[in-house]
Amino acid sequence: MSIDETTQRGTGLSRKGLDSGTVGLLGAVVIGVSCVAPAYTLTAALGPTVAEVGVNLPAIFLVGFIPMLLVALGYRELNSAMPDSGTSFTWATRAFGPWVGWMGGWGLIAATVIVLSNLAAVAVDFFYLMLSQVLNDPAIADLTLNLPVNIATTLVFIALACYVSYRGMEATKTVQYVLVTFQLIVLAWFAIAAFVHVANGTAFDATAISADWFNPFAVGSFSAFAAGVSLSIFIYWGWDVTLTMNEETTNPRKTPGRAGALTVVVIVVIYLTVALATLAFAGVGDGELGAGNPDNQESIFATLAGPVMGPFAILMSMAVLSSSAASLQSTFVSPARTLLAMGHYRALPKGYGRISPQHKSPSFATFAAAVAAAGFYVFTRLVSENALWDTITALGLMICFYYGITALACVWYFRAQAFSSVRTMVLRFLAPLLGGVILLVMFVKTAIDSMDPAYGSGSELFGVGMVFILGIGVILLGVVLMLVWSRINPAFFRQEILTQGSAAPQD
Amino acid sequence: MRYIVGYTADERGHDAVCLAVALARRQDATLDLVLVMPEHSMYAGTYPPDKGFDTLLTQQMRQWMDQGLALVPDDVAARGVVVRAESNAEGLIQAAEDTEASLIVIGASSRGIGSRFSIGNVARSLLHASPVPVALAPRSYRRTDPVTRLTCAVGRRAGADDVVSVAVSSAQRRGLPLRLVSLVALDAGQPDAGGAEDEANRRLAEAASSLAAGGRVSVETARGASIEEAIEAMAWDEGEVLLVGSSRLAQHMRIFLGSTANKILRTLTIPMVVVPRTYATSGTTSGPGSLPPEADA
Repeated sequence: MSIDETTQRGTGLSRKGLDSGTVGLLGAVVIGVSCVAPAYTLTAALGPTVAEVGVNLPAIFLVGFIPMLLVALGYRELNSAMPDSGTSFTWATRAFGPWVGWMGGWGLIAATVIVLSNLAAVAVDFFYLMLSQVLNDPAIADLTLNLPVNIATTLVFIALACYVSYRGMEATKTVQYVLVTFQLIVLAWFAIAAFVHVANGTAFDATAISADWFNPFAVGSFSAFAAGVSLSIFIYWGWDVTLTMNEETTNPRKTPGRAGALTVVVIVVIYLTVALATLAFAGVGDGELGAGNPDNQESIFATLAGPVMGPFAILMSMAVLSSSAASLQSTFVSPARTLLAMGHYRALPKGYGRISPQHKSPSFATFAAAVAAAGFYVFTRLVSENALWDTITALGLMICFYYGITALACVWYFRAQAFSSVRTMVLRFLAPLLGGVILLVMFVKTAIDSMDPAYGSGSELFGVGMVFILGIGVILLGVVLMLVWSRINPAFFRQEILTQGSAAPQD
Repeated sequence: MRYIVGYTADERGHDAVCLAVALARRQDATLDLVLVMPEHSMYAGTYPPDKGFDTLLTQQMRQWMDQGLALVPDDVAARGVVVRAESNAEGLIQAAEDTEASLIVIGASSRGIGSRFSIGNVARSLLHASPVPVALAPRSYRRTDPVTRLTCAVGRRAGADDVVSVAVSSAQRRGLPLRLVSLVALDAGQPDAGGAEDEANRRLAEAASSLAAGGRVSVETARGASIEEAIEAMAWDEGEVLLVGSSRLAQHMRIFLGSTANKILRTLTIPMVVVPRTYATSGTTSGPGSLPPEADA
């Protein structure tokens, strides 16, 4: 009685097996863009970023990519040296020991859970907006402002996505190509239509584009700069997936790098075009359609698509809805797998390590992620007047936290190899060190600033800024849970399962 | 002779293993316990990317496989096979084709959320696409003793001949009594009340019975407003297995196939083998006279 794995790859028996085996350059770019989900990202992040840096939005979008790139390089090194379902959790544990590792895992889970709740909420907004456009009844779009309706619908969306993910259903190649193409076309349409309005003099607040918009040093204060950068980390979150594809690509030596570069060009071009179009059309004032109007900042396309695209605004609703719904489903995989790995390594109760016999997906962990996302959303929606805005800012904070830890884990884990070659010095030492330090500085600065009740959207609880409560509160909750669990089952924390270590020096 | 067992590490998988053992005994059939490993789409958009999940899954699969193989008694040869495929059904069909297996055995009950009354997804897809007969174990099937009798539901629809020939050859090889049942009731409501169908069924049954040497063949007619009722009205042995042609089930529209099979399964506490319409028909459509050598269930 033995187990022999019969993989039909390469024998010509399974056409599908061969198909999914390799991804070409175009395919890799499509995967990269789909992970970034530009239509969703822009509608969620454009407003909050404008609120921080005003017309310097393009500059911040450009600058924000740098720490992302630096950290992604380190991430790729760790991913190829220690492929593990726990990613940041496992790597930080290996580099810094169980306590930091646990918090790294917690940060990753928190970030993905927060983004899940935001994705669901954006999907719900555009779901009702699209319904109202289809039925030509503006009253339906306002349903999303009705708290019970909004919360109930969001929970339904989260439950559906959780179930689809648990069943192991995934977007196929065709679906992903269609979704990505559609998003890019609609975003380009929006930008062109906005510029046409500007040219015709029909724009809401025509603002002349100035070279100064691209100057990061023109941002008023370091606080605004830090907040802007941590938000723009979020807008590139997902891009680095292209770098980690290796044997899956047709040419492992060249495709990942080229795909990464091409993806970022596509993303930056579309971000800058849409950002410029939005600023040129609506300005940063707080008028009815102004990008500086707090009412518009939660979801900029919900406000602007109608005036800019006219009857075709429904396309924007479809693009954002499809983009956020698809991401909602695929993002579920991430916290579920990290929770699964943590359960597997006894860093969490064993139940989290359960895999569904039927669907071969994390079972308990997937539902736990859904419950957490739902709970986070309900809490935020009930205590904050600008739930979406606050979650996005808190999300930027959380990404800085776990990405910062991950990057430094790379530096520390590979410390013995830091100077063995130019390649390792750049990819395993300098880039992640710089990226990690930048992110952690942004994290600390934003965290301190966000204690001010006037920070971000201006929501507060007990005189403390909402973003601080959400971001730091979640981290502190993690600390408490970690301490409780270490009392209940100290095996992981005594390094009985995963031990701290480092990569051996290279010859 | 090789049977593919669609194994999952749950009650349903246990049902399937028990049925496979029951069918394999006295047959010298070997079992392939097949675990299907999902083929992940590169385009799924999983982020952040990780390459470690497959390692955890493989580890878990080995554990499951050990548990599964432990369910098989020593007198039945079995091995574990892991197949990578997009769906469970696809993986099982692939495994059956690769090893030229003569039967796929699965647990048919469904325990998913809100699907208490529907047949399992794997069963449904298999019934639509399997090139070999599919044996469905009812819920909580734990009998592993050899089969004691075969019952074959016959009709005059296309494909009926194939079921009968499969039934006759299996019964012969196993030395089992065979009962041929004509489910005339299934077609009640049609104007054909003159008994023509009855007559046709009987002729078919008699042809089959005359053919089966050793002659332990009985012929019965079951009546009822529906296939479930007709089946319910009959007496069943504990160790019995029912053979049905898929054309019998898929008569209205393919989509009803699953629900009809499920109704039978819920009515019936014995296993059912569904013989595909196209199975072993090549060149032998002239009736039960020419038995395809590999026909088995």
